[in-house]
Amino acid sequence: MTTLAQGGSDSTTERGTARSGRVQVSKTHRRSLPAQIGFWALMALLVVIFIAPLLWMLVTSFKTNEDATRIPLSWLPRPWDVSAYRTLFGAGSANPVLRWFFNSLVAAAANSALIVAVDAAAAYALARMDFPGKRVIFGGVVATIFLPIFVFLIPNYLIVSKLGWLDSLWAIIVPSAGGAFGVFFLRQFFSTLPRELEEAAIIDGANQWRIFTRIVLPLSKPALSTLAVLSFLTNWNDFLWPVFVLFSPDKLTLPAGLAKLQNAASVNYPIIMAGAVVASVPVILLFIIAQRQVIEGISRSGLKG
Amino acid sequence: MNQFSVPLSRRGFLGAAGAVGGAMALAACGGQSKPPTAAGPTGSAAGSAYNGPKVTLAFWNGFTGADGDYAKKMVNQFNSETPNIHVNMNVFQWADLFQKMPAAVTSGNGPDIGAMHIDDIPTQAAQRVIVPIDSVANNLKLKESDFAPAVWQGGMYKNARYGIPLDVHCLGLFYNKDLFDKAGLDAEKPPTTKDEYMAALDKLKSKNIQGSWVSPFQFTGGLMFQSLLWQFGGDLYSSDVTKATWDSDAGVSALTWMVDLVKQGYSPKNVGQDADYIALKNAKNAMNWQGIWQVNEVTKLTTTHIGIAALPKIGTKGGVWGNSHQFVLPRSQGNDNSKVEAAAYFVSWFIKHGADWAKSGKVPADNNLAKSQAFTSITGLKPFADEVPDVHFPPSVAGINDATAKMYDAVNAAVLGKADPASALHTAAKQASQVLSDNSKKYG
Amino acid sequence: MTTSTVVRATPRVSRRAGRVRRSGPATPYLFLAPYGVLFVGFILLPAIYGLWISLHDYDYLLPHQPWVGLRNYTDLFKSGSRDGADFWRSIRATVIFTVFSVPLLVTIPLGIAMLLNRKFPGRTFFRAVFFTPYVLGVAVVGVLFRFLLDPTIGLLNFYLGKLGLPDQTPWTTQVPWAWVGLVGMTVWWTLGFNAIIYLAGLQEISPELYEAAEVDGATAWQKFRNVTLPGLRPVLLFVMTLTILASANMFGQSWLVTKGAPDNATRTAIFYISQVGLQQYRQGVAAAMSYVVAIILICVSLLMFRLFRQRDV
Repeated sequence: MTTLAQGGSDSTTERGTARSGRVQVSKTHRRSLPAQIGFWALMALLVVIFIAPLLWMLVTSFKTNEDATRIPLSWLPRPWDVSAYRTLFGAGSANPVLRWFFNSLVAAAANSALIVAVDAAAAYALARMDFPGKRVIFGGVVATIFLPIFVFLIPNYLIVSKLGWLDSLWAIIVPSAGGAFGVFFLRQFFSTLPRELEEAAIIDGANQWRIFTRIVLPLSKPALSTLAVLSFLTNWNDFLWPVFVLFSPDKLTLPAGLAKLQNAASVNYPIIMAGAVVASVPVILLFIIAQRQVIEGISRSGLKG
Repeated sequence: MNQFSVPLSRRGFLGAAGAVGGAMALAACGGQSKPPTAAGPTGSAAGSAYNGPKVTLAFWNGFTGADGDYAKKMVNQFNSETPNIHVNMNVFQWADLFQKMPAAVTSGNGPDIGAMHIDDIPTQAAQRVIVPIDSVANNLKLKESDFAPAVWQGGMYKNARYGIPLDVHCLGLFYNKDLFDKAGLDAEKPPTTKDEYMAALDKLKSKNIQGSWVSPFQFTGGLMFQSLLWQFGGDLYSSDVTKATWDSDAGVSALTWMVDLVKQGYSPKNVGQDADYIALKNAKNAMNWQGIWQVNEVTKLTTTHIGIAALPKIGTKGGVWGNSHQFVLPRSQGNDNSKVEAAAYFVSWFIKHGADWAKSGKVPADNNLAKSQAFTSITGLKPFADEVPDVHFPPSVAGINDATAKMYDAVNAAVLGKADPASALHTAAKQASQVLSDNSKKYG
Repeated sequence: MTTSTVVRATPRVSRRAGRVRRSGPATPYLFLAPYGVLFVGFILLPAIYGLWISLHDYDYLLPHQPWVGLRNYTDLFKSGSRDGADFWRSIRATVIFTVFSVPLLVTIPLGIAMLLNRKFPGRTFFRAVFFTPYVLGVAVVGVLFRFLLDPTIGLLNFYLGKLGLPDQTPWTTQVPWAWVGLVGMTVWWTLGFNAIIYLAGLQEISPELYEAAEVDGATAWQKFRNVTLPGLRPVLLFVMTLTILASANMFGQSWLVTKGAPDNATRTAIFYISQVGLQQYRQGVAAAMSYVVAIILICVSLLMFRLFRQRDV
């Protein structure tokens, strides 16, 4: 599709595009002007659809509660007001948003690391080794993907309580690492790796552990990072379980904490939106910084060349 | 926190995350320290002081939003007045509280004090989440005559007291004075009867104002229906609570009246959650049967003026939906008597400061307080105190909310035009009666 | 902790055994062990326990849990039972949601991924824009859209009115509009996630294939049909499976935005199950319903895998 170097910074990309607009550059075929206009019009439309609700969220967080639902609706706060943020960050706040944020970060990172570590080992065995019971184990593990989380709620609560993990981040980090999705996902990926790689290694005298850590894992970085990102986000957004097992205000994760800001009888929009802004801005920044690694990491380009 | 940050960092596993965890553990220790206070036991809580050793109590409730701010303020005041007792308040959404509290109590992680609604008390009592507290009530010298009968009874389950009444909260008529002016109505004289109500609606309609938005949801349509049901002489359940009776003629009249408001254009169709109230605040809806908990918000509005009055009498008698917050003591694993004593002291202190609590938009459960100058001088609350004799409360039966939910379904279906009022109510009542019989088997 | 054990336990014998015997008989199990502990502890045991619960009139707070055998299951198929009609209605709601959301969530993100796969200035910004909604939790998205979609006071109807279109559409209180609202907000919310996965898949497709197609004079559609789609097949299957599972587990959106309105038409299966299990404390029935949902999901997935496999041949 393009001959520009992969992973070039945006500025080089921009220059590259600009150049290709003026002169015919190699095989990249130039887009016609109507196509360009159509492309940008489509992009603009999509961006409006995507940004409008986010922008609404942002401006609402700077409104007073009265203004948030005042008709006619207005994009500009009348007046600008930071009391929602003051409620969240104020001294002695009952809503330690930053603490929740760090709790979420720690839990999601640890959970995702745990999942990648244990799932990779298990998936490797299931993909590349023959042993009695393999099909049964794999089939049984995969079947559990289809059980609604609800099945596990009460039993896992009782187990976690026996382990003394209630009201601690252990309850958020560990149990969901038993999920079968990652094993299934990585096993599919490992199965596609060429056999010759490890046969060569075996001739060189490597054992399974060496093959796994030195050959398979490095080749699987894309799949592993995909799984890490998926697990992180799933854990980051998990709502039902943390609300169930965490109690203390300083132990909550973000979704469980933000749930406390809501009220069944009336909604204080500015506070909820301010909480959402605080919760999402760091992740968005993280995404912007890491997205190239994530996306290009997910792709397996290195493998096929 | 500490426990888990150590193995993580030792293993070099997510070093950064572990460091964050460690930092947080330190912060947690710092955050827990109590503000130093020199004040001794205060005279304001005279009578039943706490003299035991120093204890920390966990107090769980569903006072989200503005309620929570008031509760927090009062807890802080209590903590500074009472050096030997430190209360940590923890707020959840009510729905979450009833998942979390039973779970926490069974695993020995429950709080020392809780607050809940009277319709939740029997269910939680039957499930042994909360314990009988007759002795606490006796020690507090609570007298039945000090409370509305339903509030007093609401704290009872199977002849034992589980709840100490804190407040009453009910519906009132919230109306937009600016719209009243616009339609040539007297903004100081909101309608009190059906005829006045309909006349006001017609005047409003002539100015293109839809005057009484009907919400299809529990808040506020379901609460409005219950008030009307009682006004028309009906009741939710038979007196022994074995049958749902909201499909009586009274119920059908009540719901038909609501649906007719929509059909005749006094309300838009398909009103969304909270839209009735938001429209009121924006001078789009003139009258809203709304909960007392919104008083603080509407009296602070800057762009419009909201009046608050007792509900009009649409049916043949007075009837107002209401509920009551009550203090409960969750079952605890240990037998820490000083904690129970401290909890009892906290409860009595809080109830004595009921007028402060009322400022969050409540009527004190204690009649004497409700009549006191301290309460009646609070802006906007007086009409609700006057209503108290007409307030109906949910019955004290375990699992009652499972049955009542069916009634909310019927209101939703009828107001949204999915079923006619009679058949919606009838189907729901039949299902609810089945639920009641299941529940009586289950909870005994 | 597992690392060191495995290293030590892996037999060195394999070197001498050469090509024939690559590891000791215990090796696979050692690789499986760490995950196995978590799987058994937090999935298998709870799943079996859940099955056990589903055979009782279960309320974990009560001292006695009466055994009811298969009654929690058979009642679901009996007309006039307490949950039968409501449960199947909730399944119907879930099916409607899935049928409308999955095709959109499989195709639109693919289109967006292909747009984003081009080189153009500001690409990073656009990727972030599409991905951002996904980092918001369902609680926030739900509250936000409940207001934006409100029939009488919402932003959407406000702007539709300004454009001269109907401004009274009940996006949250009447079907089919509520489905449009729920599916629309779900697409907005989760589209970026699928798009990112597609984007990664697209970058796997070797540029030479496109160049070869161009040399053959292929049109854009032919390139898409013959290069892009076949190259994306595993990714497609992956995205589709994930999306179906997520849609089948939908609950937060309708819980927050429609509360099941009108007349519980948008109350999904998981919504209903959580009401039964957590609000009514009837965990036996809730567990039985969960297992029925699981069986339906397994059947659907097997069917889907079969379809994909047939196309492969």
